[in-house]
Amino acid sequence: MNKPRTTLKDLIGIEDVKLGFFQEAQAKMEELKASNRKLEEKRQEVEAILDAIVDVLIVLSDDLRILSVNNVYHQLFADQAPEGKYCHQVFHRQDQPCSQCPVLSSLNKRTVCRGQGIKPARDMNRSFDLVASPMSQGVGEPNKVLLFMRDVTREKEYQLQFMQAEKMATVGVLAAGVAHEINNPLTSILGFSDGLKRRIPRLESCVEPGILEDMREYIQTIREEGQRCQEIVQNLLTFSRPQNSPFGQVDLRRLVTDCLKIIHYRLKKCPLVNVELNIHSAQPCVYGDEAQLKQVVLNLLTNALDALSGTGNLQITIDQEGEDIVSLEVEDSGPGIAPEYLEKVFDPFFTTKPVGDGTGIGLSTCYNIVHAHAGRIYVCSEPGKGSSFRILLPREAKRKQSAAISMLHGNERE
Amino acid sequence: MNVTKFAIPEVIFGQDCLAYVGPCARRNGGKRILLVSDQGVEEAGWVEKVIDALDDEGLSWVYYNTVDSNPRDFQIRRGAKFYQLQRADVIVALGGGSPMDTAKGIALIASNGGEIRDYEGANRIQRPLPPMLCIPTTAGSGADISQFAIITDVERQVKMAIISRTLVPNITLIDPTFLQSKPEWLIIASAIDALSHAVEAYVSSISSPFTEMNSLKAIETIVTNLEAAVTTRSSRSLTQLSTASTVAGMAFSNAGLGVDHAIAHSLGGKHDVMHGLVHPTLLPAVMRFNLPACEQKMAVIGELITGQKGSDERETGLMGIAELENFFNLFAIPHRLRDLVPDAQGLPEVCKLAVQDACVLTNPRPVTWEDCLQICEEVW
Repeated sequence: MNKPRTTLKDLIGIEDVKLGFFQEAQAKMEELKASNRKLEEKRQEVEAILDAIVDVLIVLSDDLRILSVNNVYHQLFADQAPEGKYCHQVFHRQDQPCSQCPVLSSLNKRTVCRGQGIKPARDMNRSFDLVASPMSQGVGEPNKVLLFMRDVTREKEYQLQFMQAEKMATVGVLAAGVAHEINNPLTSILGFSDGLKRRIPRLESCVEPGILEDMREYIQTIREEGQRCQEIVQNLLTFSRPQNSPFGQVDLRRLVTDCLKIIHYRLKKCPLVNVELNIHSAQPCVYGDEAQLKQVVLNLLTNALDALSGTGNLQITIDQEGEDIVSLEVEDSGPGIAPEYLEKVFDPFFTTKPVGDGTGIGLSTCYNIVHAHAGRIYVCSEPGKGSSFRILLPREAKRKQSAAISMLHGNERE
Repeated sequence: MNVTKFAIPEVIFGQDCLAYVGPCARRNGGKRILLVSDQGVEEAGWVEKVIDALDDEGLSWVYYNTVDSNPRDFQIRRGAKFYQLQRADVIVALGGGSPMDTAKGIALIASNGGEIRDYEGANRIQRPLPPMLCIPTTAGSGADISQFAIITDVERQVKMAIISRTLVPNITLIDPTFLQSKPEWLIIASAIDALSHAVEAYVSSISSPFTEMNSLKAIETIVTNLEAAVTTRSSRSLTQLSTASTVAGMAFSNAGLGVDHAIAHSLGGKHDVMHGLVHPTLLPAVMRFNLPACEQKMAVIGELITGQKGSDERETGLMGIAELENFFNLFAIPHRLRDLVPDAQGLPEVCKLAVQDACVLTNPRPVTWEDCLQICEEVW
């Protein structure tokens, strides 16, 4: 072995001290601090990423308990402490998991599962696209699920409105076609019945007075019914006018009568329904899109008829609210709306009708149309006594009228 | 040397201070203690006492007793493995120089790795050691105080000196009660070992006032008390011996030793001679050899032992050496080297090894292996 020889200086060892762990501990601490800093940065980054996600993000246990939620959840939903509760309790107030729960199927199939659902958010029902992906910490069976909920309410609404508009446009095109087809024979019928009418005096001398009287009456009936047909056709033609037609003066009296004519066939099927139209305004004209407003009134009338289910009173009232505003009220004596539903009736997708009967888009469309007219729509109902929907529309397209309506009536839905 | 250094561990001294081993171990971060001792100490019942003290403190412990009177490198290796395997932390050494040196070796290898021989010499230890607590049961080795560990390299048949401040234990608990049960020869051998520490440190070329006062105190106390301690075993005289051994340890740990210890180490490595028994034979001869180089200091020792002054320093020194021989003759121990070593043929080799020992460095007079041989032959 070749080692440097020990010297006296070594023995005294002035510079050699009893080694302690201080330096090592200090170095270790520096290392730990650095790695801690890195971890913290990483954590913040991950947190920032999570916070930047605009979808609702929920981590669920395998028994569907909510473990954690992100910011977006808190913004959208009322229950601010959902952790530990069951998902179906928080979102649907039910004790059992929903049927076709994508979370459960993702746990079973151990793969990403998708679904859709309507959940009650703070402001209204919202429609969500759901994506459930199973999570496993480290190795082993997945025992958690990451649930993404993308709010697609607006898309859904647009989609439904688009479909509705599409349908209406199709109906419009068909109606226009039918109307044109019918118009020609009608013109002939009316023309020839006019011709018949003109020739009646010439028959006076050759026909029995009784038969002549009958002929006069028949011709009169043919002409009147023909004119009625013409009016209906005219109505259909205005209804089928393309959407987004420019605003103009719309006579609510005529609009309501037109609508009644359109649902005439339905009214005829309900002889026990008593329809009453009261107009307390000399000039019930508003500024708007006739076709769209017609859709609103038709909707309200149809809803009222649905509510009456064959018997009761349907009252339509047009009135003056100050100088600048016209009101239109559709009132039925049906069973009314339960108080807990009252504030939801204008929400999209909200419906009490059985599946298939209603999309739940009708009243929310009315709401949107009325608002586009700078108007307001109110609902008022008492269970057992009936419901009334009241629309306020400005006579002229000015902002101040809309403001005036707000001043006059406070907030909607109250 | 203008600049000196004096380093010692925390010293807890007094009857029954053994009781503090638990709290001391805990304060040093101990949770699982490695206790190092040997069979002799076990038989005296001391190991059990320490274990009880650790249990009282609620500390867990493991016990290692593969220790010889001259600790071997493989015993250290095995102990270090045991320490790591058992995930021990604080090391407590209980016994004479052998368990304490073993404990130091284990602490060194467990924390620094490698083999003991990698650290032979001065200041080669690079990393800190686990906390060490020493409880000396003999009064003499000084290992509980010193920065030395003496381990035998079995392959080369040499005692290696590992010197490092890091080998200074954290705490030494010196309980004189232990001496009560020791056999007479062990008390004598330990005390004379301590005496030789004191003498060699006193004349060392790097002694300082701090070591010198300790040396003189140890010489005086041992010479005055050893006979009484052996015959009466009074706790007062045993406490004196413990004190003397401790201060002698403080002296030599900081001042170093001389040729006497160099030869003793060499003999121990070659012939496994009980270390403490070598000094009564060698020390007077070594003092005579060194006298020309340190007459003044030898005179101080002489006057201290005899209480008289000769015509000059040299004479006073010689008087002291003679008196020391008389003192050794009081005891029933070997007085000639031939009583310890089987034959003289190996002596040249022993002496050639001795001059390579680090202790030679601080000897006041330069020394060759022939000088050493002459000393050995003188006391044969």
